[in-house]
Amino acid sequence: MIQPAPEKAVEAQAQGAKKGRELVVLQKLLPFLSLTVLFVALAIASPHFLTSTNLSSVVRQTAVINIMALGMTLIIIIGGIDLSVGAILAMGGVLGTMAMEKGLNIPAGVGVGILTGLLCGLVNGFLITRLSIAPFIVTLGTLGIFRGATLIMTNGLPVHRIPQQFTFLGEGTMLGVPFVLWILVACALVTHLILEHTRLGRYTFAIGSNYEAAVYAGVPVTFHTTAVYAIGGMLTGLAGMIEASRLMTGQPTSGEGYELQAIAAVVIGGGSLRGGEGSVIGTLIGAFIMGLLSNGSDLLSISPYVQKTIIGAVIILAVAMDELRKRRSTSA
Amino acid sequence: MLLELKNIQKRYGGVSALVDGNLSVDAGEVHLLLGENGAGKSTLMKIVAGMVERDSGEMLWRGHEVHVKSPAEAAAIGISMVHQEALLASHLSVAENIFLGREDRLPFGFVRRHRMIEAAGRLIAEHQFPLQPEWRVEKLTPAGKQLVEICRAILHGSSLVIFDEPTSSLSGTEAAEVFRIVRTLRERNMGVIYITHRLEELRSIGDRVTILRDGRTVHAGALRELTVDRIIQHMVGREVLAIYTRQSLPPGEEMLRVENLNERGRLHEISFSLRAGEIVGMAGLIGAGRTELCRTLFGVDPIDSGSIYVGGRQVEIGSPQEAVQAGVALVTEDRQITGLALRLPIACNVTLANMQSICRFGFLDGHAQNIATVDFITRLRIRASSPRQRAGRLSGGNQQKVVIAKWLFRQARVFLFDEPTRGIDVGAKVEVFNLMDELARSGAAILMVSSELSELLQVADRILVMRGGRITGELPGRTTQEEIMRYAALETQSVVENGS
Repeated sequence: MIQPAPEKAVEAQAQGAKKGRELVVLQKLLPFLSLTVLFVALAIASPHFLTSTNLSSVVRQTAVINIMALGMTLIIIIGGIDLSVGAILAMGGVLGTMAMEKGLNIPAGVGVGILTGLLCGLVNGFLITRLSIAPFIVTLGTLGIFRGATLIMTNGLPVHRIPQQFTFLGEGTMLGVPFVLWILVACALVTHLILEHTRLGRYTFAIGSNYEAAVYAGVPVTFHTTAVYAIGGMLTGLAGMIEASRLMTGQPTSGEGYELQAIAAVVIGGGSLRGGEGSVIGTLIGAFIMGLLSNGSDLLSISPYVQKTIIGAVIILAVAMDELRKRRSTSA
Repeated sequence: MLLELKNIQKRYGGVSALVDGNLSVDAGEVHLLLGENGAGKSTLMKIVAGMVERDSGEMLWRGHEVHVKSPAEAAAIGISMVHQEALLASHLSVAENIFLGREDRLPFGFVRRHRMIEAAGRLIAEHQFPLQPEWRVEKLTPAGKQLVEICRAILHGSSLVIFDEPTSSLSGTEAAEVFRIVRTLRERNMGVIYITHRLEELRSIGDRVTILRDGRTVHAGALRELTVDRIIQHMVGREVLAIYTRQSLPPGEEMLRVENLNERGRLHEISFSLRAGEIVGMAGLIGAGRTELCRTLFGVDPIDSGSIYVGGRQVEIGSPQEAVQAGVALVTEDRQITGLALRLPIACNVTLANMQSICRFGFLDGHAQNIATVDFITRLRIRASSPRQRAGRLSGGNQQKVVIAKWLFRQARVFLFDEPTRGIDVGAKVEVFNLMDELARSGAAILMVSSELSELLQVADRILVMRGGRITGELPGRTTQEEIMRYAALETQSVVENGS
């Protein structure tokens, strides 16, 4: 066998790598630092910011997008995208509330909403893997189909006759904290666990990082891709029930444009639309950055028009920073 | 002097790619640039071609100091580069690619398509390239794509053309074609810098040689004065056996048998078998169907008829997943595309094909994963800083070892190696051969596809030769290159697959 390289070169390389790693860690913390800075700045700028009413309203406002974004994180890491989540959210909310209207109890109704999301996700996954159509196209199509079906089922009218206690899901408090926060934390933990500590998570990264290589390694790509869309659908169905609970109606037109907010949260949090990159923590930070920006603008009475502009700019800025970091760390 | 590089330095983050790069090229000269992977050849050439900027040092072009900041600037002063993996727009035609960025423009962005096709046709005819201007580039073989890049360089009136390992993906006759073209360029008084890993092709092509090692120019001079052994010594900085020899084993039981395998239009009546402890070579020209055979045996492409037996049992292989389950492993020729998830850590790549062994009820055992990966890093001497290092940051040879580790971890018994030494430096080649030998000794059966006949002769126990999707010959391991070529190249081949 051949001797390893001269030790000096190895040492130099190791040193360089160490220095590079410190830089990378710092840059990886950037989204978190931005969130902290934003938080502190708002606390200073507005006396109303650091009140429990305001903070819990931020949590409630963000939770829906946040839970959807968790599913979107998996989907984006596997190299896909789901434009239909807004429509899935509406369908889940409508069918769940309709079930309650028909006499099902509240947990069963919520179950119907989640199941609806799961089925919608399965449809997406099935079309993407079996017909091998690009996820963008498939979910653009199902966005129309799901939304249309929801409007047909309801005749475009909201579902109203819902048990009063259902409001607890979106507006209730548990141990002094909004109930949705507990749900969000639970969902985030489970998603994190799936992503970092299970075979499904590893395959998700592998498929997103290099689809071909995953196929050539014998990874059951079809099954795992479908599973990821199904999980995304489930989370969206749950988000749909939370949205319905907050509005106390099953609104067939709810969730329009939410898909873009969910995607934005993932992307701000370091997810890459090329696949193979992203994290639950990043997504949570991304969603909260957007939530704080919109809450802060409200408190500082910045017009919603300006708000939209700011959020748009933040998305581009965040991704630009991330690209810069990646370019620096991969050029060696 | 056409081009002079003096004391060029370049660092990427904390890593020095070039410490002291020196090179000078004259017009009408073919200059070979040699060195192991990671020696700094590509970085030095990227600096010349404007893809990377140097940190310090001098670059003189026709005696004047220049700073080229982009490939377009390089092209403007007359420097162009033919890349190893041709950088072309695959959906466009040959003519459109040749003229890309230099279209004969009309107002409002319109282009003169007919004139462009005519001009491309003239250029192709003048050099007798086996191309048509209307062909779509995605249908071309690697050789064809390189010809398109060469056309582009000639058309742009370059006075210096850099070839980055042009023959690494080409078969013998195609390589000869590239040499012919390089000679024409020299006759036109152009300068040529030629990066290669194939030491045996040096003689037929080069005038002078520059050898890099660890970012420094360690030797420059006339090729005539150097023996191949001497060149290898300069490259690796130590004595290496120029000729690897392998001790054959008595073959064991049959591990793979293929009977009358057909795939329409690609493979015809393929029958052969591999025994435990055997390394069987597979020779043939590009397009002979060797890669297609590997893909079919691995379940990537469907079988039309025929049967496959692994370890004596007939198996149905309809997908790579089934192939892996049957114990078949494929080390593909393009490891960056189909072999590795470059952005993921080494540990993920090593364990990807055998997740069940490090998972309990679907949950990962990170500890088991690390132990396995560290074990492979030491056993295969993978030069990596940690199991968490991204696979994309390893050198070619080390990447190949990670791919092999993946299949070792999967405990595959039948290994298909498709061009296992492509783009790998001399030292790593010997290590890959040693690994294959160890595998054979542990009872695996190996099929090794290679376009480098000298390698097959060094490593293989038997050599199968393919042409036009058929096995045309089976030769003993101690045969000659001429004998192999007789079976491989009875007909001349076009550079377009499927005759389109």
